Amino acid sequence: MPRPEPKTITFTIDGREVQAPENAMLVDAAKLGDVEIPVFCYEPKLGNPVGACRMCLVEIEGIPKLQTGCSTPVKDGMVVNTESERVKTAQQSVVEFLLINHPLDCPVCDKGGECPLQDITFGWGPGKTRFVEEKRHFVKPLELSPEIAIDRERCILCYRCVRFSQEISEDYQLVLLERGAHSYVSTFDGHPYVAPFSGNIVELCPVGALTSREYRFRARPWDIEDAGSVCTLCPAQCNVTLTVRDERILRVLARDHSEVDDGWLCDRGRFAYPRLGGEGRVTEPLLRDGGELRPVSWERALEEAATRLKRAGAATGAIVGGGATNEEGLLLSRIMREGLDSPHIDSRVAGTLPLELHRALAEPNLQASVSDLEFAHAVLVLDCNPIEDAAILDLRLRKGVRRHGMKLVPATAADLLDERSAQELAAKLRATGPADDAGAEVVVLWGERLTAGPDGARAAQALLDLASTLNLADTKGAGLLEIPARANGRGLREAGVLPNAGPGLSALAEDGLDAIGIARALGEGELSCAYLLGADRAGEEWERALERATTVISHATFLTDALREHADVVFPAGAYAEKEGTIVHPDGRIQRLRQAAAHPGECRAEWQVLAELARRIGLDVEIQSGAMASQQLFDAVPRYAGLTLEEIGGRGVKPHEREVAVAS
Amino acid sequence: MSDILLFKDIDEPGLATLEVYAKRGGYESLRKALEMTPEEVLAQLESSGLRGRGGAGFAMGKKVSFLPKGSIDKYLVCNADESEPGTFKDRELMQKSPHMLIEGIVIASYAAGASRSFIYIRGEYVRQADMLDAALAEATQAGYIGEDILKSGHSLSLVVHRGAGAYICGEETGLLDSLEGKRGNPRLKPPFPANQGLYQGPTLINNVETLATVPAIIAMGGEQYAKLGTDTSKGTKLVSVSGHVQRPGNYEIELGTPSREIIYGLAGGPPEGRQVKCWFPGGSSAPVLTAGDLDLPYDFDSMAKAGSMLGSGAIIVVDDSTPILDVALKVAKFYRHESCGKCTPCREGTNWTVKMLERIDNGTATPMDIEIMASVQEHIIGNCLCVLGDAMAMPIGSMIAKFRDEFETHIEQARARNDLAPAEPEPALAGGVSAHA
Repeated sequence: MPRPEPKTITFTIDGREVQAPENAMLVDAAKLGDVEIPVFCYEPKLGNPVGACRMCLVEIEGIPKLQTGCSTPVKDGMVVNTESERVKTAQQSVVEFLLINHPLDCPVCDKGGECPLQDITFGWGPGKTRFVEEKRHFVKPLELSPEIAIDRERCILCYRCVRFSQEISEDYQLVLLERGAHSYVSTFDGHPYVAPFSGNIVELCPVGALTSREYRFRARPWDIEDAGSVCTLCPAQCNVTLTVRDERILRVLARDHSEVDDGWLCDRGRFAYPRLGGEGRVTEPLLRDGGELRPVSWERALEEAATRLKRAGAATGAIVGGGATNEEGLLLSRIMREGLDSPHIDSRVAGTLPLELHRALAEPNLQASVSDLEFAHAVLVLDCNPIEDAAILDLRLRKGVRRHGMKLVPATAADLLDERSAQELAAKLRATGPADDAGAEVVVLWGERLTAGPDGARAAQALLDLASTLNLADTKGAGLLEIPARANGRGLREAGVLPNAGPGLSALAEDGLDAIGIARALGEGELSCAYLLGADRAGEEWERALERATTVISHATFLTDALREHADVVFPAGAYAEKEGTIVHPDGRIQRLRQAAAHPGECRAEWQVLAELARRIGLDVEIQSGAMASQQLFDAVPRYAGLTLEEIGGRGVKPHEREVAVAS
Repeated sequence: MSDILLFKDIDEPGLATLEVYAKRGGYESLRKALEMTPEEVLAQLESSGLRGRGGAGFAMGKKVSFLPKGSIDKYLVCNADESEPGTFKDRELMQKSPHMLIEGIVIASYAAGASRSFIYIRGEYVRQADMLDAALAEATQAGYIGEDILKSGHSLSLVVHRGAGAYICGEETGLLDSLEGKRGNPRLKPPFPANQGLYQGPTLINNVETLATVPAIIAMGGEQYAKLGTDTSKGTKLVSVSGHVQRPGNYEIELGTPSREIIYGLAGGPPEGRQVKCWFPGGSSAPVLTAGDLDLPYDFDSMAKAGSMLGSGAIIVVDDSTPILDVALKVAKFYRHESCGKCTPCREGTNWTVKMLERIDNGTATPMDIEIMASVQEHIIGNCLCVLGDAMAMPIGSMIAKFRDEFETHIEQARARNDLAPAEPEPALAGGVSAHA
């Protein structure tokens, strides 16, 4: 679908000529001329402006009444004044009105210090109030949900949270009840506001009316530091800003990236982290001694692990979990392939695909971006459930349907494997395109489980056939977007953590066993040592495999029952906020993890542990720092050649787009 | 000189039935209109100079012409949420002559190219809604509503929708939201309803009286209609006169009739021995005028020139037996209660104004509060999302401007009452003897 391509116009604001995209809202256009127009209700992420708070009133030449800058599209030649007496009086009066019923309890309010109402009051308010009457009162604070507290006295009724619930997450739970000065935000029947994205309203709230119960009274803004990283709790890899106090994570905020998360977070990403850093973590190396895991020194644990690995040699099988970075994956594959001569390493749960299919699916011109989901004519949701598999994509799909009329078509592997229904599906998708021959822009959002099981390879081929029928490779804004089963599934594949491919999906001299094969071989005694890097395997097959294995070595953040029973050596592993390195988004974007929190207890960085282990089995990997581990990755994967951590930065880099840019 | 067009037969027994209405020439205008092209009907509406009778006074023909042309689905909505205090003309019209409204709607929909129409009637008008339903059934039966009306090719559905009781649902965009099943809050304009109204489709919204005038315009011709009234306020107007008058009620007058003639002539003026203190010329949201303005012609422009507005044509007369503070408090409380709460100046300003007026009344205010109150009204006017805030601020502002002395006296008297009160809860004024005496 055509995306907006605004032309540049010139308008005048406060006596200065400024260039801005035509039809940008005045408040946004004003910023280009370094003019700030204060707002409360305006938030472009929430869709069309509502003009409720009236904070952004400005004077426009030729229009008698003051206009709301949030809802006035800028036009060529427009003359805007934000500093006239009339505008100042209006701004002061709106602040005065807003504070009439606001308790001004800033000293005990969590928002104090990072509060738009405070800032705007200082910047544009009258400085004193003439209101001497009794303020409005509500019982407070109340639990709006198990995660969110609501203080209705602080609420300035900007409608942001209600609009989020009604128009973004579309859970339709939050409403305004009553009328006038008695209005208040609530759920219709007073039930708790429980929804997959509820936490976003805390961040949207421009005052301290909605606060996180987890974060309440934990810190003031001057106690904390912000650290940017990426959430690796699911493949969506939302960009986050971590609130850090005393090297601990207290809060997770969204870090807007329109190509990744659109500025939203799911509740799991937002509320899980503080708990991941807490009780129950493995904080020191453990060694099985007398049938039980007991804390030991690093020296002992590493020596024991190295001895056992050397003994097992090529009879070792390794599984890499989805939270591992590319660097960790590459390092472990080097230990396996170069140090132990074992080709048995895998990062996919369901077993691998033939190498040519892996390569075909990774073709650069077949890759759709996240924003393509929004503007496509149709999105085929194939064998995945976005809200479960990569929650934030659910919001992007809703946005596409609501704002751009995108058609959502769900299907499963069965629809693709049957020739006739596959043809019908293709016809249905093609029909969503324009009447002329331009072709439909179709994005196939597919789950890794499509390619699992005995029909996996056939399903992958059917998917490629569909892509070629619809000519997705040559259609702009169309393509495939895979949701891997694990957070960094794509990155680990690119780093060569596959039994049949090395870095950059290069062919290997000898193929190894895939995850299913490793489990079987361990169970039958063909392999003797299992190496689990942040991987927790369940199921009967693995129960038997770990039972039979002579040695089980694991890197873990938490002990599971299986590890408690079968692991021989457990290295404490870092949670994502403690990691540094790179991961790859489902659409191919390399993103950078930056350490924000301290490792708990004796915990060390994985690259450090792996490098030391490599040394002890006689392999010098030449890595003394996280940056060196990354450099080795960039050198190993052909498509990453020349990349630097600086270039990846906070926004990430798509190597396949970079190649084009470098070439041209 | 009164009851010229709409009210000509208004008290005819049984006019609400199709039989009597038809006998009186009902639906003849519709036949005539359907023989013309929609453009010709629109031309008649434009040449009539009819201005909207709901309050804003916007030229009806022009409003129709704003709707996009073409085969796109269009809507017509009749605003029957008559909620402006003092206004009760639409009620009588719908109750006594529902077919006149229906006929007007069909003709207007033909001119506008609308195929779906709604009457949004306030929930309290139970009887009138029932009567509209009955009339609608008759009209449908007779083929005036439905597919291919009178074999003209024009089709129209009509639904009578009852509101749930909110003044704000009379604001056109609030009405549309309410009609769509949402909370009745005003929308940001633009887009205007003519482009994006009901269900985002082009929508013509008109008041009951406006639409009910359409059959008369078609019957007599737009130019003939335009001969009634003044240059800029053409035709007749239903006026609801209430308050301190001896004969309150609805009167149909030619626009431009001297206000004194309406208030004293038709409505009989205040009771014996009392004088007009002030009057609202266009419902409670119009700035008040005083006895000195009684000789102004009653039309859109004269009222605007006097600093007020004709509004919905509801004249509320206040005589000298009522303190101005009581009037102000009544008005302010109404708008505080009805503010939807969406935009800041209206939500907080109406609430604050009531609190200040209450303090004036209970003797805890100072003359400085009058300044604050006046400035609060100024801060509301023109700064709100819709006109509800202005609807309180304008009359309150006008009362402060015109009766400042009385407000000051009220403050002083109320304060004196308080100062005289004994510290112990001894009713100070009951015995007429105070502790200080």
